Amino acid sequence: MPELLIAACGLWLTGLLLALLRFSTASRLLIGIGAAAGVAAAVSALPQGGAVLALPFALADQTVRLHYAPEALWLMGFGLVPAALAVWLCSPVRSGRPGWLAGAALSLLGALGVYGVQDGYSFLIAWELLSLGGAVMILSERLSPSSGRSILFMLALLEVGSVAIMLALLLLAQSAGGSMDFARFLAGAQTMSGGLRIFVGALLVIGFGAKLGLLPFYEWFPAAYGAGSGASGAIMSGVVLNAAFFALARGLIDWLPSGGDWLFRLGVGVTAVGVLSSILAVLYAFQQDDWRRLLSFSSAENAGIAVIALGASLIFREDGHSDLAGLAWTVALLHLAGHALAKGGLFLCADGVYGASGAYRISQRGWLRAAGLAFGIGALFTAMSLAAMPPQMGFATEWLTFQTVFQGYHLSSLAGRLTLALAGAGLALTVAIAFATFVKLLGIGLLGAADQTKSTRIGAEYGLAVVLLGLAVLAAAVGLPVWLIALDDADVVQFGVHSAQAMSSDWLLVPLTDKFAFISPSKLVIAMPLLAILPLLLLLNARRHAIRRARVWYGGLHECAQRAATTSLTFANAMRTFYSFIYRPTLDTAREHRAVAYFIRRLEFQHDVADVFGPLLFTPIRRGVWRLAGRLRALQSGDLNFYLALIGALLLIILALTLR
Amino acid sequence: MTAPVLEAVARADLLRRCRSAVDAGARMQMAYAWFPDGPRNPEVRYVVYAGTREPLQVWRCRPGPQTLPSLAAITPLLSWYEREISDLCGLQFEDQPQPDPLVLLPGATLSTPPLVPGVNAALSYAAAPSTLPEMGGSTRDDVQSLPFGPVRADVLESAQFNFYYLGEAILHYHPQLFFKHRGMEKRFEGLTPELGAVLAERVSGVGSVAHALAYCRALEAAAGCEVPPRAQWLRVLLAELERMYNHLHYLGHLCHTTTLKVGEAEGKYLEELAKQINCRAVGSRLLRGLVSPGGLRREPQLTGLAAQLDRLRIEFARYGLMLEASTTHLDRLITTGVLSRKLAFDQGATGPVERASGLDRDLRRDQPYAAYRELPLKVAVREAGDAHARQQLRIAEVENSIELMLELLQRLPGGALSTQCRPSSGSEGLGWSESPRGSLYYAVHIDEAGRLARVKIKSPSFSNWRVFPFTVHDSNMMDYAINEASFGLTIAGCDR
Amino acid sequence: MPLWTLYGLRQGKASTRWPASGDDGQSGTLGMPHFDPAKCQEGCRRCADACLPGAITVTGAAHGTRVAVDYGRCVTCQMCVEVCPTNAFTASGDWAFGVRRREELIWAHAAATNDAQALKGQIHRVFGRSLHVRHVDAGSCNGCESELQALNNPFYNLHRLGVFFTASPRFADLLLVTGPVTYGLRGPLLEAYEAMPDPKFVMAVGTCAVSGGTNGGGYACGNGLDGVVPVDVYLPGCPPNPAAIIHALLMLLERAPQRVHGGKIAAGDNGA
Repeated sequence: MPELLIAACGLWLTGLLLALLRFSTASRLLIGIGAAAGVAAAVSALPQGGAVLALPFALADQTVRLHYAPEALWLMGFGLVPAALAVWLCSPVRSGRPGWLAGAALSLLGALGVYGVQDGYSFLIAWELLSLGGAVMILSERLSPSSGRSILFMLALLEVGSVAIMLALLLLAQSAGGSMDFARFLAGAQTMSGGLRIFVGALLVIGFGAKLGLLPFYEWFPAAYGAGSGASGAIMSGVVLNAAFFALARGLIDWLPSGGDWLFRLGVGVTAVGVLSSILAVLYAFQQDDWRRLLSFSSAENAGIAVIALGASLIFREDGHSDLAGLAWTVALLHLAGHALAKGGLFLCADGVYGASGAYRISQRGWLRAAGLAFGIGALFTAMSLAAMPPQMGFATEWLTFQTVFQGYHLSSLAGRLTLALAGAGLALTVAIAFATFVKLLGIGLLGAADQTKSTRIGAEYGLAVVLLGLAVLAAAVGLPVWLIALDDADVVQFGVHSAQAMSSDWLLVPLTDKFAFISPSKLVIAMPLLAILPLLLLLNARRHAIRRARVWYGGLHECAQRAATTSLTFANAMRTFYSFIYRPTLDTAREHRAVAYFIRRLEFQHDVADVFGPLLFTPIRRGVWRLAGRLRALQSGDLNFYLALIGALLLIILALTLR
Repeated sequence: MTAPVLEAVARADLLRRCRSAVDAGARMQMAYAWFPDGPRNPEVRYVVYAGTREPLQVWRCRPGPQTLPSLAAITPLLSWYEREISDLCGLQFEDQPQPDPLVLLPGATLSTPPLVPGVNAALSYAAAPSTLPEMGGSTRDDVQSLPFGPVRADVLESAQFNFYYLGEAILHYHPQLFFKHRGMEKRFEGLTPELGAVLAERVSGVGSVAHALAYCRALEAAAGCEVPPRAQWLRVLLAELERMYNHLHYLGHLCHTTTLKVGEAEGKYLEELAKQINCRAVGSRLLRGLVSPGGLRREPQLTGLAAQLDRLRIEFARYGLMLEASTTHLDRLITTGVLSRKLAFDQGATGPVERASGLDRDLRRDQPYAAYRELPLKVAVREAGDAHARQQLRIAEVENSIELMLELLQRLPGGALSTQCRPSSGSEGLGWSESPRGSLYYAVHIDEAGRLARVKIKSPSFSNWRVFPFTVHDSNMMDYAINEASFGLTIAGCDR
Repeated sequence: MPLWTLYGLRQGKASTRWPASGDDGQSGTLGMPHFDPAKCQEGCRRCADACLPGAITVTGAAHGTRVAVDYGRCVTCQMCVEVCPTNAFTASGDWAFGVRRREELIWAHAAATNDAQALKGQIHRVFGRSLHVRHVDAGSCNGCESELQALNNPFYNLHRLGVFFTASPRFADLLLVTGPVTYGLRGPLLEAYEAMPDPKFVMAVGTCAVSGGTNGGGYACGNGLDGVVPVDVYLPGCPPNPAAIIHALLMLLERAPQRVHGGKIAAGDNGA
């Protein structure tokens, strides 16, 4: 197994080099093969987890050691499948491909590091490589004139996260006696006080939440994803998102002790953050009219759901229910696995639409007619999974998340039961709006009458990639009772119970016991086609009657179907009014008149929803920073004497410090 | 009844006269063109309504070969008349704010302007989309456009309504009318005056009496004949019977749009009773076949009419009270489709629509005709300008009409029913009446042979359809049907 | 807040039982004038000159056949009744003039042949109890619409006969057209006809739809439905009153007999 990972790393480095030398095709091939090698490594090494691999150099007196736990391989494997396809299809912007491939290689290398390194210094380097890679990918594409600003905003928020991670690592290292080795952190954390442990936990949530998209950090998602392409999104929402969650889960479960009142409070906090993030993210996802922005908000929402499961795991753990803690933790991993596949598929759909139409707009142009059957099936399966429709993976994992939260009645304290009950309610709201969101995406983005003006088709390669991912999602759901065994050993290591094994009983999926509830995507995938036999027979029977095709009835005149079709705004408009206390929507119509008022010549219409944290948090902070920068401008006085005086003062301070 | 004052105005003076008239508070009522001597020498006539009790002014202008200055910048309501003159008579105007064809549908072309005497115009038509204002902004793709019609749901007249809307909110509304343009004004050419009365009744089917009355009065003005008093009084009876059944219809239809089912059924039932009263009295449910130039054609059957009207009044009083007390119904009407007073005046609103917006104008009282001067006429006015005010106004008008008719039946004079009416060749006349929907004008010109040379019809629905879109912009879809029902317009009257 | 339901219940049933029994609501109506050629005066053209839609034409043949009357063009203006010096034209209360063939509306001296057209018993079996009607206004003056809208008021209550107006031609069995077919509405009318599924029927309601009436012709109008869509029932009248429309609908459904043959109405009551 280590050979495959080393091969992956080597291929990515070579691909990076080739990309910098502008050999795009070769680079694409190599990076893609590297990703495939990564997938193969994950498949071959589960369930035992990889062997420890020590690298022959040290970083700040710390040997760099690489160890891939089963959960790391699980998340990495599922994330690399869409990454491989995204790299092979590459960015649709041809001129930016070398830069994009370099960024992709950097992200993948960073992800490899985040999943595997076991010490703080190299972890931080790998973490920054993830951000750097994402930024390079999006900036190379130059799809939007304001991509610079969006990336700056993204990097600013990610740096806030990095600072939080650094602080947390420093605190943990200090308690561990100065060592940045992760293996020593748990022992060191035992010596921390309860308040300090909550503080470290909060820092970890902020730090990794910045990349996961927990509130308020999801605000960089639309701008940054909206400046890139679907391929960038497939990588950023797949392997990179999974890496961030893996790091958060490890931080909260491996590095912090497993009992005490503080853990309960931390767990409630994490659950609350997860619930609110997912609700807000999905509300904004529903209002978007750009493929990438909608899918980016949906990634934040799904990350929030995984964080809810993680919070539940912490609460169960504190109360002594290790089996339920293991269940919750496993469910989070399953959810992100399915999400990576499905989200990658839809991002590649977006690229297909872009290639055919030149824009990422969600509007009814009848793309499903212009694409092949493969594209349609793939798009349908991936959207079904994200909308949590049976028998897809998304349905199975959402159901399991609900079951986990329902197990809250086992908790001994009222506060715990209440928290999980409210989390269940929030989860229900999220899932309902997510369903509507994906109905909108599929319905308006892909359906509709054929566009009369253009007749471009979606490329066959996109159809192939999307159908592969759609079938992968279905296969993941159908074979889940089998794939679950791969996580069993990880459960034993973390929680001491065979939770994963207990989650499947025969071909049913159960929340540890089949007396409570059960579903079975494996059986559904057989039963659903059987149920369809009767309607299909009726359909075949109906074909015996001659069908006369008539035009759509519009009241007697022929109208352009495109102009009258539901748009993404009108689909979501009712929710905009209903939740106006969150959205604070604006709608302006400016009318231009001819010579005299009353004779209207032109209408200009603008609409928008307001962000929650933008005006509340980021704008005041930005204004404060500008004000501070304005004050500090005094340092740029341009006066030579002032500079000499500063240098003199600095010299004095250095002398004072060193001559001690 | 004071006759209109005719005045010749030079082309160069038109703008100045118009501006001073508008500044003095007059309303430019209508404009039309005709060809007194040949296609090269048109004459444009403007009817100006100076003050409510003063006689109407008719300005005549012969532009010769030049184009006319457009007065629409001063009086927006003249825009439609100028566009119609361009379409049907071929005259051009300078600086029109909106020079698009009005009466001809987009995609229709005429070989020659049809109202030029002695020509047979040929019309070719290939359907084209309506010209709507341009939709700009980065988010224009988000706006839906709904073309509704011309064949609409339910038993309704044909017209196409174009909406720019977002699910519920209407951004812009444009009614594409004139699908039903039948060229009625051309059909009058060459008819004898008596047959013209038969045709006038069929321009707008539910306004037969008002149209026939305005036409006959125009002829009587041209002939200078005096209609006998009994005929004048009976004409008032017919006009008020027509007003009654029309208002009952619109009240019932308004309940239909607010889904007040029993209210709708009762309103339509009362309308049916009114039509059956018409049938028993006159022989025609729509009161056709009675009004002719010089008086009436035959005696209506008046026995039992007062008793029937009394029964109807009692039932209607209860209905009106119930309508005004139904809060769910009123909820849908209050603040729906508000028409401000200034807008109503500038855009030429007429009839119940303008009286509900605070404009106290009624041709029966201000320019009395038939026997209105001798009868106690009450004119209702409301200030709010919303759908509720229009309902209140119609209820008040029905009550006033029934009261007027009962008074009339008691004091009806005897005497002849008609007199000779032979307009001499080359004569002309302007007749008007207050139809259930507003002010209606007929301008009639007689040729050398004593037949009709040119008839211009200004129907109240033509004026009100111009006003209606302004109450729909920035409203919402749920209120649209209620607003349209509260206006109570016909499309046949507008399209002619 | 008034209790409308209670009010409606207290008002009771306002529907007439016609055509089974009872009041048809048309007492006092002046319908299509009755023509007696025996009283016609030689050399007199007054009726033809007074007829605006040209329903009466003088052919100049021998006495008795020199005046031709086409009731498909009659607008019941009663001018012919008033100007005729010999009462050849008299006012009548006949309005049930729905016919299946256009020729039946033309007054013929000889007795008309029996309605030889084989009644399609199919219609009664399939549509007899439930007929869905799509109305298209092809340029009427709104008078016919006023009478059509009256069909759903509590007095006539068309629903009790199983006839309904639909919003979309896709659910319609019968296309009911009023108006002389203006240039702008010819296309939409044909679209509505095409949008209806088979089997479908067409009824021309009003003199304008039957023959153009007073409004047809000219630069903007056609002359009725003939030549535009195939017509199954012609109902002249200006406008035809709701009872006449009900009679024509029932006649289409073979629930009422055709009353007019060769321009002459059968003796007896109007309607059933």
